[in-house]
Formats: sequence, C-alpha cells, structure tokens
Amino acid sequence: MAIYLDNAATTRLDPEAEKAMLSFQESHFANGSSSYRLGLEVAKHIEKARIVIAKKINADPEEIFFTSGGTESNNFAIKGIAFRNNSSKRNHIVTSKIEHPSIIEPVKWLKKQGFIATYLSVDKEGFVNPSDVKKAINKKTMLVSIMHANNEIGTIEPIEELGAMCREKGVYFHTDACQSFTKTELDVKKYSLDLATLNAHKLHGPKGVGVLYIRKGTKIESLLHGGKQENGFRSGTYNAEAIVGFGKAVEIAAIEDIRNMAILRDYFIQKIKTEIKKVILNGPVNKRLCSNISLTFKSMEAKEIFLKLNEKNIFVSTGSACSAHKLTPSSVLLALGLSSKMANRTIRISLSKNTTKEELDFTVQSLVDIIFNKN
Amino acid sequence: MKPDEKLDLTGTGCPQNSAMALLRLESMEHGSILEISIDDGEPIKNVTAVIEEDGHRIICAKKLNNKCVIFVKRL
Repeated sequence: MAIYLDNAATTRLDPEAEKAMLSFQESHFANGSSSYRLGLEVAKHIEKARIVIAKKINADPEEIFFTSGGTESNNFAIKGIAFRNNSSKRNHIVTSKIEHPSIIEPVKWLKKQGFIATYLSVDKEGFVNPSDVKKAINKKTMLVSIMHANNEIGTIEPIEELGAMCREKGVYFHTDACQSFTKTELDVKKYSLDLATLNAHKLHGPKGVGVLYIRKGTKIESLLHGGKQENGFRSGTYNAEAIVGFGKAVEIAAIEDIRNMAILRDYFIQKIKTEIKKVILNGPVNKRLCSNISLTFKSMEAKEIFLKLNEKNIFVSTGSACSAHKLTPSSVLLALGLSSKMANRTIRISLSKNTTKEELDFTVQSLVDIIFNKN
Repeated sequence: MKPDEKLDLTGTGCPQNSAMALLRLESMEHGSILEISIDDGEPIKNVTAVIEEDGHRIICAKKLNNKCVIFVKRL
C-alpha cells in the first residue's frame, strides 16, 4: 500500500476530471482559436471552464487568463506589472521572505534590472504583519505580492486586510493562491485583489495549466507575444484538454472535503504529539491550511526520516517539494526563526481529500517506530 | 426593447466571443432576449453568423461608432 502525503507538491488527478478530459479529447482535437465549427466547440468548452473558475473566486469570466501553471502566472503578475508600470517614480515591489521561488526569483531578477524590492519578515508562525506592509509601501511602490497560504507551513495570510490597504493606497495587490485555491475561501472582490495566481494540479486537476486572475482595468504587460490568445494577454495555443480538466476539478471541489481534511489534520497532529513528545508543529494552529502539517523532530534528521518512510511506501516531503533536492535548509523555516539544524529536522505532510484515517494511523505508527529506532 | 440579460463582448476576440454568446444563450429560457455589445467588423459578422447557425434569431442590430449592439431571441 502506498501512502501519498505530499499533496502540497501535487495531487492525484480526480477520476471525474480525467473522465471529462478523455471524453473531450475523443471528439475535440481542433484548435480552440479557429473560428470554424470544430474550433468553436473547443472554444465553448474553454469558456465553460473559465466561467466555473471565475464563479469560484467571484470574478468575471473575462478576468480569468489561462496560463501553463502557477510559475507562469506568478511571473506574469510580477514582471507584467513591473514592465507596464515602470518609471523612475514607481519601481518598488513589496513581497515576503516566505514566498514560493516563482515569486522570489522574478523579484530578484527584476532587482538586477534596476527595480527596488522589499522582502518582509514574518513572525514565528509565518504571518506577515499588515503594519509592516503599511510601513514598506511608499510613493514608489507599484506592487505588493503576498501569498494566500504558505506551501511549507500552511499559514493563511491576512490578505483581506492587505488587499484593502493596497487598494486604499493605490498599489496593485497580487496573491499566489496555488496552495489555497478550493481549500479556503478566495473572493477577489471581498479581498480587494488585483491579481491572483491559481493552478489545477494542487486540486486534483491536470498539470500544465493555471490561471492568472487580472482585475479589469489593471495595467499589465503581456509576457508571451504571438497569436493574441486570451485577448492578446497570453499568446499560445490553448491546452484545451487540461483547461477542461481544470474546470471539472474546480466544479467538484467541495466544502465537505475541506472540513474532512481539517479534522484529519488535527487528529494527526494530536496523535503524533501524544506518541512522540519531542516534536514541534511549525506554523499556526488556527488560520492554517486544512491540508498542511509541518513537523520538526528534535531527535532525527528529516532526510533520515524521509528515507525510512520511503522504504515503508509513505511519501512525504522535507521542506518544500521544489527544494527537496537541495541540502540547504528551507528558507521558509529559517524565516520563522528555526535554526538550520532544526530546519533540517522538519518534514511536511500534506493531505488530500483522498487521505484516510487509516493511512494517518499507519504513518504515525511508522514515525514512532523510526524515531524510537524500532526498525 | 428590454432585454432579459446583457453580455458585453467588446474587446473579446474570435472565436471566444462566439463561444461566450452561445453559452449564455444556452443558459437562458427559450423565448428570452439577450442584448450583446460587440465590436464592429469581423466580431459582429462571426458572432451573428454563429448565433443564427445555432438556431437563434437576431431581432435587432444597432451600430454606434465602432460598437454594435444586437438583440437576440433565444429559440
């Protein structure tokens, strides 16, 4: 039996999404940008998915722009705003130290091109302090980008407050919602968002498709020029099959799944703390993503735990998936104030709607055996 | 004429505009009226052709500068 507990890295494609994609693929092969009947049928499926996704975040369909995934959407948001609004008077970007690399790296790259960046610190639970954002915004600030939920420690940031603050100050506000989309409320109007990154494969949709929500009137530059798809904002032939799967995955995402994951998350945390005393939960207890558990084991290296769990067919992550191959400690964990030693003793367990109590019981028992060297 | 629903397709390219028009019509009651705002030129030509091909009726079309407004009866 394989126990997959790395759903923050990616999730298994839902059978319903897979079915929708296969059924679509069987009869729709035309280019969704072609105006003849075959192309139009493809375009109708794309628009259906766009409507479903727009409705889920309280946006208008024309504010939804399909991309190849979260990394492209984040690059589009950051560079697109920077290029379009750049002037000697406005060239400052505010973000946090715990963003995904697809935010950190574009901002770092823009710094090399002459932009100014502020990377905000977070508190020990991973929260960005709104008063720090307020202090960081100045007359030159064009964009604030703060993630909705952190991929490593599950902290849900106060984006409603940050959005309102940015709107009041006339600064664009972007949030990377790849981890949170369909796992907690995301209302672009309520949260005063100008831009939001979404993707499919974290919510049982296919890989290779994402969305950038762009509020009407936002001044943004296209990064991909060509056939003028997506009203000229994102050229490239539509990945229609993946878009159909994305739409289906969003359509079937249920509030009940969020509740069940949160119950299992809390059950696991309580059980592991009872069984293994020398373990620390990273991130907050409340305002935490329903699927995230980040644990530091004081007595053993994460790499060792990871390998032993792997032998037992239990798949977790050390740090974030993107940095799993690195030996350097997670920058997110360091930003919380963990030492390098403790950061390297941290594993991430991330649940999905398919995770069962039995799987978690087996995982706790396996961790007990590993930590107390029973096998 | 008072439409039951309105759809703004100005600035929307082809065939996305046609797809959006058909999807909206499909979601409406038979006999109801949809008002569509759309760019002149290729967009209005393509969209009206597709709407009629799909069996709906264009009951009125107005032109103002480079923008057009059409009223469609969902059949």
